[in-house]
Amino acid sequence: MAREDDLKLVQGVGITKTFGGVQALSDVDFEVEKGTIVGLIGPNGAGKTTLFNIVAGAIAPSSGVVRFQGEDITGWSAYKVCRRGIARTFQVTRPFGEMTCLENVAVGVVNRQPGCRRSQWTVLAAECLEAVGLKDLAATEARHLNVVQKKKLEIARALATRPELLMLDEVLGGLNSQEIQEAVAFIQGLRDQRRLTILWIEHVMGAIMQATEKVIVLDQGKILTTGTPTEVVNDPRVIHAYLGD
Amino acid sequence: MFAIASMNGIVIGVIYALSALGVSLVVGIMNVVNFAHGEFYILAGYFSYLFATALGMNLVAAMTLAVAIVFVFGLLVEYTLIRPTYGDDLYSLILTFILSIVLQNAYLLIFGPYPNKPPGWVRGATDVFGLFMYGNQRLAALVAGTCVIVFVFAMIKLTWFGRIIRATSQDRGMAELNGVNTTRLNMLSFGLGCALAAAAGVILAPVFPVTPTAGVPVALTAFVVVVLGGMGSLRGCIVGGLALGLVENLGAAYLSTGYKHVFGFIILILVLAIRPSGLFGHKEA
Amino acid sequence: MSQGASILKSNRKNFLYGAGLAAFAVLPWTLGAYNQHVLIVCLFYTMMAASWNLIAGYTGQISFGHAAFAGIGAYVSGILAVKAGLNPWVGVAAGTVAAAFFGLLVGLLCLRMGGIYLSLTTLGFSEILHIIINNEYEITRGTMGLQVPGLTTSYSKISYFYIFLVGAVITLTIVYKLVHSNVGLNFRAVQNDERAASALGVDVVRTRLLAFTVSSALAGMAGALFGHYMMLITPHIPSLDQQFLVLSMTVIGGLGSFVGPVIGAFCLEILSEYIRAWGEYHVLVFGLVALVVARFAPKGLVGIYKAWRGKKRPETA
Repeated sequence: MAREDDLKLVQGVGITKTFGGVQALSDVDFEVEKGTIVGLIGPNGAGKTTLFNIVAGAIAPSSGVVRFQGEDITGWSAYKVCRRGIARTFQVTRPFGEMTCLENVAVGVVNRQPGCRRSQWTVLAAECLEAVGLKDLAATEARHLNVVQKKKLEIARALATRPELLMLDEVLGGLNSQEIQEAVAFIQGLRDQRRLTILWIEHVMGAIMQATEKVIVLDQGKILTTGTPTEVVNDPRVIHAYLGD
Repeated sequence: MFAIASMNGIVIGVIYALSALGVSLVVGIMNVVNFAHGEFYILAGYFSYLFATALGMNLVAAMTLAVAIVFVFGLLVEYTLIRPTYGDDLYSLILTFILSIVLQNAYLLIFGPYPNKPPGWVRGATDVFGLFMYGNQRLAALVAGTCVIVFVFAMIKLTWFGRIIRATSQDRGMAELNGVNTTRLNMLSFGLGCALAAAAGVILAPVFPVTPTAGVPVALTAFVVVVLGGMGSLRGCIVGGLALGLVENLGAAYLSTGYKHVFGFIILILVLAIRPSGLFGHKEA
Repeated sequence: MSQGASILKSNRKNFLYGAGLAAFAVLPWTLGAYNQHVLIVCLFYTMMAASWNLIAGYTGQISFGHAAFAGIGAYVSGILAVKAGLNPWVGVAAGTVAAAFFGLLVGLLCLRMGGIYLSLTTLGFSEILHIIINNEYEITRGTMGLQVPGLTTSYSKISYFYIFLVGAVITLTIVYKLVHSNVGLNFRAVQNDERAASALGVDVVRTRLLAFTVSSALAGMAGALFGHYMMLITPHIPSLDQQFLVLSMTVIGGLGSFVGPVIGAFCLEILSEYIRAWGEYHVLVFGLVALVVARFAPKGLVGIYKAWRGKKRPETA
């Protein structure tokens, strides 16, 4: 029993969220096993980003429990959750526009290692930028970046916090097919080389099919089904949810 | 003493509420706090004094014209100063704060430091409930203030314009998608906010002296009422305004006159410490 | 540029700064008493503007209570000196600590909500302090002003100049170190996008609280020093007019830049001495200039200069 629980890096039980009169999430149970890439899909408005926000501490659930490595982190503030080992990207990127790319990433570094000196974080931040291919833009202010570069910066920043769980929110939007392939390979690399666990909201189904080991499907705030990519894609309920009547 | 203090509290409370409505509307729709709110209030007072006394206009005409002019001035300010800052709350804060000081000094220069008082509408006093005599002008102010508030609520609840206002302050993006011209709406709301300040100004001008800096405590109180009632809540303004008026006047009567305005601040502290979203405000989602 | 060239350039920059500072340090010997006074006031406003810039320019919180904290520093120091016979130097330290303490309290109260709430709370705090000072006449002597001893045994403008010079250097050094430290990264991150900052592990409230407390302490120090210099502490120090001047200086000089507040303080103070000849117009003139600058050149004089340089040499953008 204990071993089984060890494998669950993050787990949500009975997560419910109501905004005013709107029920964004109802009784959502999910788990993500350590060292896997798990996809989170569902039609628009299904509550995917809301779930991310709850796990990441940006908002608190109306009820339910979030556990990370067995520890109850429900309702923790975002910065505490990050320091505990969960990093996330935003669907619409949020770079620190007036800071350079290096400084953007450095924010992640110094909050992971508070006593860090400038000489150290410069190096560490540069490494993260290099990993995503933004090394040459280190001294450029983030507001001058294009959309794809901003997405890469977002990931580099998240990586700088040395997370155990990386939550990606629609990072492939706006990429061409070659870029998508590179991104998928990169994300798989994160799992294989860096031993990251990844929870990934995505609309690009090809990538989900290719990279994930398990897919969770949300529809109108409820879990529709969970399974392997093949199972999920062939599930008539999932098809129905996306296409409607 | 309790009766008179309460009466004062209610009268001033209604005016606080009216003034706070202007702030709340603008905050709800544009997320902008107009620091020069008090200066618009006083400007209307000055205009009504000018028109009624210097030009000898009919009182009602003078007041209406004063409010109208301040409304237009508000539109102008929105267009030149606020609009370019939309999205950045900080800059509108800085700009309206500077505007407030500029206006105060401009008034000092133009109108001089001595208090001006437009003529009262009514004279004498009335016996209230057989308990005490109360100045008719203040009673008139109470009635006028209440009428304007009722008018505003009616407009918000019943008219098409009011519906747009409610929709936009709830969800700006949605409103835009539905075809609301939010830029024009901003301008009109800001003007309306200033007009409400102006209305409060002309109503109270015969009661309290109009001086260049008399707008500052007015703005401050409006802000406290808005925080107390809840940002963006119009009902909150009414309850908050009356509550503040009563607390201030009862406090001044029973505790200390010198610290009258401190009560408002104490309320502000308590609200921020215990329930920052105010009485009727929405908690951050 | 190459390693060697950039070290040379930075050495040359440091040398220029050092020489400039040295030249400035001997300036008062060449001036008459009135101009010495103007320099001292410039240094006072430099301290105030630089510390206000720390929260407003670097963390994006517009506080209207800055002058109030200066007032706390001044009154605490002055009252202790007069009522308890405390040495004014110790008084200045006490005033700084008191300002820091109140800064912490006010910060704790309103920094969770931030933004508009902070501005309103600090505004209210400032007004309240004003009322208390006027009401507690017995202790503060209200508008008559509290007479306090000076910092030096024999009054000499030159010695006060050096005291304020040291004070300004301390203030600027603290601001500089803070902004260029890891904490400074957090400041700017929070200012740019606080949601993203918290997702990266930045404790937004604590970051702002730190900036706010340090900034209030520095204002308190400046106020205490000023009170003992003028040897008279009046409610004018913690007034909204003063707050307005500090804000204008920072905005016109360049909000969010390091030298902006210094430039703004010196320019505006010297300018106001000349305009003073015209009478009461000078606040209005400042206000209009500040309004125009804030509206059309939000980054102030420093911003204008940088934009001009950027146009001249596009490759160093």
